[in-house]
Amino acid sequence: MRYVCYALSLALLALVAVAVGSAQPSKKPVVINPAPTAQDWTDLGKLPDWSGVWNPKVTDQDAQVKTNPPPWNEKARKEIELMFAEEKAGRPRLIFYGCFPEAHPSWMLVTHNAMEILFTPGRVTMLGESDGNRLRRIYTDGRGHPEIPDPTFHGHSIGHWEGNTLVVDTVHILPQAPLAISEAAGVPNNGDMRVVERIYLADKDILHVDLEIFAPRILTKSWKTTRIFFRQRARKFDIVEGVCVQGDYAERIDANGNHVFVPIKKTEWGNIEVPKDAK
Amino acid sequence: MDCSEPRMKQKFKLVAVIATVCGAVAGISSVTAHHSTTMFDHAKTLTINGTVVELRWVNPHVSLSVNGVINQWEGDKPAVWVMEMTSPGNLVRAGGWRRNAVKPGDEVEVLFSPLRDADKKGGALKRMTVRETGEVFTANLREQERPGLE
Repeated sequence: MRYVCYALSLALLALVAVAVGSAQPSKKPVVINPAPTAQDWTDLGKLPDWSGVWNPKVTDQDAQVKTNPPPWNEKARKEIELMFAEEKAGRPRLIFYGCFPEAHPSWMLVTHNAMEILFTPGRVTMLGESDGNRLRRIYTDGRGHPEIPDPTFHGHSIGHWEGNTLVVDTVHILPQAPLAISEAAGVPNNGDMRVVERIYLADKDILHVDLEIFAPRILTKSWKTTRIFFRQRARKFDIVEGVCVQGDYAERIDANGNHVFVPIKKTEWGNIEVPKDAK
Repeated sequence: MDCSEPRMKQKFKLVAVIATVCGAVAGISSVTAHHSTTMFDHAKTLTINGTVVELRWVNPHVSLSVNGVINQWEGDKPAVWVMEMTSPGNLVRAGGWRRNAVKPGDEVEVLFSPLRDADKKGGALKRMTVRETGEVFTANLREQERPGLE
């Protein structure tokens, strides 16, 4: 009888344990980035050749300031007009300050610096010269955007290939990121900006980036523009490391003989200022 | 060490100028960034003849400081001017520059557009000629778009 009692008690405990276990929320399976297969690497060879150094066509950027202005809302338009006036008067507004990234989509719109584009399985990566903080990760592995936004300077980008065109959708860009049309004219997007790009070779060494920008807090409707990059292959023009904040410092040797960076004084526009007592 | 040698004297003078130019560590306003260049008066071109104090080969803007006199200003006294340019990468592609294009003490002639603020001795470099070699360097980043660039 005693053994029967023990057995019944154990069975009851087991039932309770199962009941408690099933009451707990089920854990979501961990999503992993699988290791690329040999086939994944082989498939990259079928993509168009975007190797080399891509330089922005700055003269076209200059022209579009007048020929293709964004449909600014009233408030933004007034701000931009003031910026144009200030620039003309020799007091250009510092749109890109503090060595923050130019951010997306301004990097594509007004950069004066080169970039390179890398293909790896499940991802396209854009690396910009001049600022070490210019980096775009475009996921091409079929994922969607995160459910919980985590805004960043370049936002969250997902892409897919339509033939030889990479179609990119970007959201979750910091509201402070400016929509800039030059280095002296642009306003913060103030949130909810979305950018759709179609990137393709328009010619052997010409890359086009067709952008449609949805910025409901500063534009009355979406804005379309195409930005042009041209390719260089000479090794002497390879992308070099660039750290923007380095410009705020001079390379010196301290009293202990160590190589150090020493802060220098700047004008309000970022130019180096010569002290009045310099001989 | 014979400090009376002219070369040594010149070296010490350069070190003193560098120390003065970059010794302004007080009141720092770190605002380095990419910016428009209309604070320079591009309608004006001045020429300075002098010696290189320092070439700062850094992002986002390379700068060249020169101790010399302005050709167009009669009786001008030697002074240090700081010339700003585009980034190192752009200078390599557009103007044929390199990190060791000039060194402190080199004699140069520089054409530049001065800052509109006449109190500040700064400018946007347009062209630099190294006197000893005759090498010429320019700084127009839009030159990268010229046909036939490698």
